[in-house]
Amino acid sequence: MDGESQPPTFKKATVNSMMQTHFTDKKTKANQVSVKLMTELLREFATEGAVRSGIQAKREGLDMITIEHFEKILPQLLLDF
Amino acid sequence: MDGHDVQGRLRVSCLSQRLKAAFHYTVGKICEKFAEENDVTFTRKLLPLFSEAVCQQAQSFAVDLELFANHAKRTTINADDVKLLVRKNPDLLDRINGLCDAETATNEMLRENKKSKQRKTKKPSAPTAISDESNNADS
Repeated sequence: MDGESQPPTFKKATVNSMMQTHFTDKKTKANQVSVKLMTELLREFATEGAVRSGIQAKREGLDMITIEHFEKILPQLLLDF
Repeated sequence: MDGHDVQGRLRVSCLSQRLKAAFHYTVGKICEKFAEENDVTFTRKLLPLFSEAVCQQAQSFAVDLELFANHAKRTTINADDVKLLVRKNPDLLDRINGLCDAETATNEMLRENKKSKQRKTKKPSAPTAISDESNNADS
């Protein structure tokens, strides 16, 4: 699709089936609005992770983001979501 | 019977593998975009780790949402459950609220257009501007 104008995001169908596989009750469903909001939430989580890893790498004066940078920001990232 | 169970389990694991692959792809895209914009590079080994973290987070979200819906004696998850999920992060809550309002507004507009369309079919003298608007909203 057009990757230029819109930021890359998850497909709604993917998010929906991902949630569906983790529901304990098979009768549980998610309506359209909630799936859209969840998609946005997960995109925000991924973006935030990338940005914070980048900031951590910059703070250490590096251009290469490594696993250690991600490990350092992960606890606060998980607390914020 | 045993064979059927194994097949079912295989199908489930295959599905979750594909879902993880889809998540991996999108997380990769997001990282790529960030790397391009900020002139940094990600270690190749970081990507699988990162997408796994996103998957785990999605799983925890799904479990919470189901519990919230069950607590409200519903079987369908709606926008209120998602709002409850992000209640501890005010900025995120604002964003989700804004998105939710926009979504309900567009839904209502679509419904209004549908109604006016129905009215139009009954009364052919209705103005044509409404149908143009509804066509734009649909696309």
